[in-house]
Amino acid sequence: MSTVRAGSRWIRADLRARRGQALLTVLAVAGIVAALLTAATLLEEGTNPWRGLFAQTNGAHVWAHTRDQPELGRLLALDGVARAAGPYRSAPVTVVQEGRKDPAALRAVPATPPEVSRPVIVEGQWLSTAQPDGVVVERSFARSLGLRPGEPLAMNTLSGARRVLYVRGIADTADQGFYPEWTPGLVWVLPVTLDQVEPSLGRSEWVTGLRLKDEDATQVVAQRVVVTLDEQLQRVHTWREVRAAMELDNRLLGTLLALFGVVGLVAAALALANAAGGRVLGQLRDLATLKSLGFTRRQVALLLIVEHGALGLLGIGLGTVGGLGVTMAVFGSTSLAPLPVVAIAGGTALVVLAAVGLPAWRGGRTPPIPAAPAAPPRGHLSRLARLALLVRLPPALVLGTRDAFTRRLPAFLTVFGLAVPMMMITIGLGVWATLDNFLKNPAQVGQTASLIVKKGKLTPAEAELFVSRDPDVRHAYPGSTVNALAPGEARSVRVRAIGTSTERYPFPVAEGRMYTRPGEAVAGQGLLDLLGVRIGDRVRLTVGGSPLIVRIVGRAVEPDLDGEVLSLGLDSLAAKDSVPPGFYALHLREGADPDEVRARLLAASGEGLEVQRVVNPAERLTILRVVIVALIAVLALIGLANLLTASALGLRDHASDLAVLKAMGLTPRQVTATLVTATGLLVVLGVFLGTALGALFVRGLIDLQGHASGVGAGIGRAPQPVTLGLAVLAAVGAALAVALIPARRAARVPVTAR
Amino acid sequence: MSVVLKAVNLVKVYTDSGVPVHAVRGVDLEIEAGEFVAIMGPSGSGKSTLIHMLGGLDARTSGEIWLDGRRVDTLSESGWALLRRRKVGFVFQNFNLVANMTVADNVELPALLAGASPREARERREDLLARLNLTERADAPPGQLSGGEQQRVALARALANRPSLLLADEPTGNLDSRNTRDVLRLLGEVHRDGQTIVMVTHDARVAALADRVVSLLDGEIVDDGRIPRRRPATGTAGEVIDLR
Ligand SMILES: Nc1ncnc2c1ncn2[C@@H]1O[C@H](COP(=O)(O)OP(=O)(O)OP(=O)(O)O)[C@@H](O)[C@H]1O
Ligand SMILES: [Mg+2]
Repeated sequence: MSTVRAGSRWIRADLRARRGQALLTVLAVAGIVAALLTAATLLEEGTNPWRGLFAQTNGAHVWAHTRDQPELGRLLALDGVARAAGPYRSAPVTVVQEGRKDPAALRAVPATPPEVSRPVIVEGQWLSTAQPDGVVVERSFARSLGLRPGEPLAMNTLSGARRVLYVRGIADTADQGFYPEWTPGLVWVLPVTLDQVEPSLGRSEWVTGLRLKDEDATQVVAQRVVVTLDEQLQRVHTWREVRAAMELDNRLLGTLLALFGVVGLVAAALALANAAGGRVLGQLRDLATLKSLGFTRRQVALLLIVEHGALGLLGIGLGTVGGLGVTMAVFGSTSLAPLPVVAIAGGTALVVLAAVGLPAWRGGRTPPIPAAPAAPPRGHLSRLARLALLVRLPPALVLGTRDAFTRRLPAFLTVFGLAVPMMMITIGLGVWATLDNFLKNPAQVGQTASLIVKKGKLTPAEAELFVSRDPDVRHAYPGSTVNALAPGEARSVRVRAIGTSTERYPFPVAEGRMYTRPGEAVAGQGLLDLLGVRIGDRVRLTVGGSPLIVRIVGRAVEPDLDGEVLSLGLDSLAAKDSVPPGFYALHLREGADPDEVRARLLAASGEGLEVQRVVNPAERLTILRVVIVALIAVLALIGLANLLTASALGLRDHASDLAVLKAMGLTPRQVTATLVTATGLLVVLGVFLGTALGALFVRGLIDLQGHASGVGAGIGRAPQPVTLGLAVLAAVGAALAVALIPARRAARVPVTAR
Repeated sequence: MSVVLKAVNLVKVYTDSGVPVHAVRGVDLEIEAGEFVAIMGPSGSGKSTLIHMLGGLDARTSGEIWLDGRRVDTLSESGWALLRRRKVGFVFQNFNLVANMTVADNVELPALLAGASPREARERREDLLARLNLTERADAPPGQLSGGEQQRVALARALANRPSLLLADEPTGNLDSRNTRDVLRLLGEVHRDGQTIVMVTHDARVAALADRVVSLLDGEIVDDGRIPRRRPATGTAGEVIDLR
């Protein structure tokens, strides 16, 4: 108790004496925690929006599609079922929009939104009996079609009738995955409307959602549903399939965020250790006094841990609140489970305590005789300083150079503490450059063709004619995609045939060679890993019952489908799969605008052709850029914290020397220069080291990640030299500016003041 | 009279610089309650080393130290720390105050550490500062005080727990004559109240205030003499001359 009182006095006094530094420490830690939390949420939201949607819509766990209306009572009677949505009648239609045809399901739901699996309106309004021709479109479907509330939605029914309904609202749901990964697209209508559009019960099905008491029982309940509905049942899907469908191929994002987070944490730990260590060094005299008063070694160490740890914990608290606040503001509700939050906060707390533990232990070992250890070590002229003397640098620079390295450990910590954030910033810039490169050179990720044309209503010959007549189309490669069963794998892989083995589509081959004749193929990294084969191996797949035997002669960079894609020429496929071609991949002339070409083709063919733009993988990863910017900000903050520690320590070490220097005849400006040189040298060293390391690692890291995500190595790009140069300049400039302020203040202090 | 402090064949050898330095070579010393002992000697004779060992700030190489009848040289570092809280007050030539804490906090700190309630600590501090005429400076940081004022605050702090033993290493070494007089007057006062004091000094005029002067040379005691108390009120010039 007594030591608590005495200790808290001391801590309070000490914190008061260095408010700015303490605040910066808190902010740096808070920034890291907030960034980690936001990143985790972004990741969760970006890669798995299912959880949030499911909670928001009070979703159903199991969905059954039946031919006739099922007896709801029997389903509700199943053990584990709590409530139900539906049964709703649902009819398939084809939405016709600007020459595109998209499969959709019209689902009849009441005008009062259901309790279970209630779609959440994001735009417009829910269905109303006042507007019988109004429909609500599922969000991803609406986005894919480019629909807004109020716009017409034209559709063909199975019988061939054409109807036009109007979009009344756009809603989110967890009933099914996103379009186009999950088809058909979902459109809600009123029962009366469905009766008009598709009166035939024989051409529709019934959809029932079951909400369970316990989601772990999903598998069991799904089995029982299958048994109960037996003949009637057409298919069943559960929330697991929906979640899997919603998950983006975002392992790249996840790994990068994790990397940034972990290294950021290490950097923050370093900054904390540095700050605490610097503080302890500056306080040795006071600590000795405390000991002469009767503080024990352990009490001093504890005191330091409490003081510096409290700052860290405060930062963690603030960061947690801030991070959750940000995600609340951005996503409305936080979809992050409590576990990651606890893990992030707890992990950071551990790191913080470990980081302050060492300096605290060191502080505890301060001998109680204050005189001897309190004096800063008078190093010999370091080698660098001697060099500076040799080349006749001004005295301030020589003195500063000498000072920079008098204390080895803090000098090292400062250099390292700046190098780590700088390295991460360089890596972030590299990721940015890689994304830019994706966008600028789509051919390098296999997207030479920027438009995919399907013949639609036209004959293959007509389609070919329209395409070949367009002035901006450089080459139209006929293509087909088929699914093939891999031996021993209970799943299919994509086989993509574009061009022929003589007129080859330019797949970006990163290893091996391009195929040159029928029976040869190139594969994505994901496929190689999945089948456990290497370049040069022969693989045997089954396409629609007939075997497909090809030799893999190379590896292509493959951003689609986790890289589990086999690419070959159409002539390698059996005729039944390749004639007529399923689509044409259009390689446009340099500088041609795909949207313009698309509009022209649609107009020329009288909306007969279906023309789709190819989505660049970088467009899906835009979220990454936000993350990069945020993390660079946090890393800069950490660097700044390190810098302030370094310059504060420098000042403390030199407080007594300054008077001597001035007495020796150094002008205030020279004194300032000495101090700035001392920190500046370390800054420059750290920044250059970090940039060099970052530039060295970035390509390898991204390629490694590319390999892991199936895309394959060969996509990594180092940041542009100009970008790097600017980053280095900005870092050094900001650092020197920050170092200059305390140095100038110190230089102005009159000699007599102690 | 009871013996407060006893040192038996105390030896200190510094070995950290490679060559062993025999700073203190077998010192025997007994200090009784209420005594005011000055330790004198030329620079490098081992005065600071000795007094540091007596306060447990530095470990002895061999020999014994007894405080209030208890052997203490075998104590661990934290054992010494606990002992210092209630029994030993320390004043250095420099570096006496925690720079970041106010004068008031500096004086209250040892009391709090020894287990006093914040109220007791405050009352004792107010009393001590009042006796030192430093009440108005209570909230100032030590850096704003003159050297003499700082040393008086340090003395107040060392006395805050009414220690059995006050150890002072050249408490006036850095001070001018007026400040020296202030500090010495304070020392004299607490001595008159019964405080046991061991003070290192190389100033003969300062040493003259003590009851007893121990002279060190090369780490050994070469002279240990009691000087009679000056009694300025009763003594006459004649008596002083007679004594000579
Ligand atoms: N930490 C140390 N390591 C090595 N030798 C030391 C150490 N401290 C003191 N000494 C040596 O021990 C001897 C005694 O030193 P000490 O400081 O006790 O002398 P002092 O009498 O207090 O001198 P001064 O009057 O100058 O303060 C000296 O020769 C000194 O060089
Ligand atoms: Mg000394």
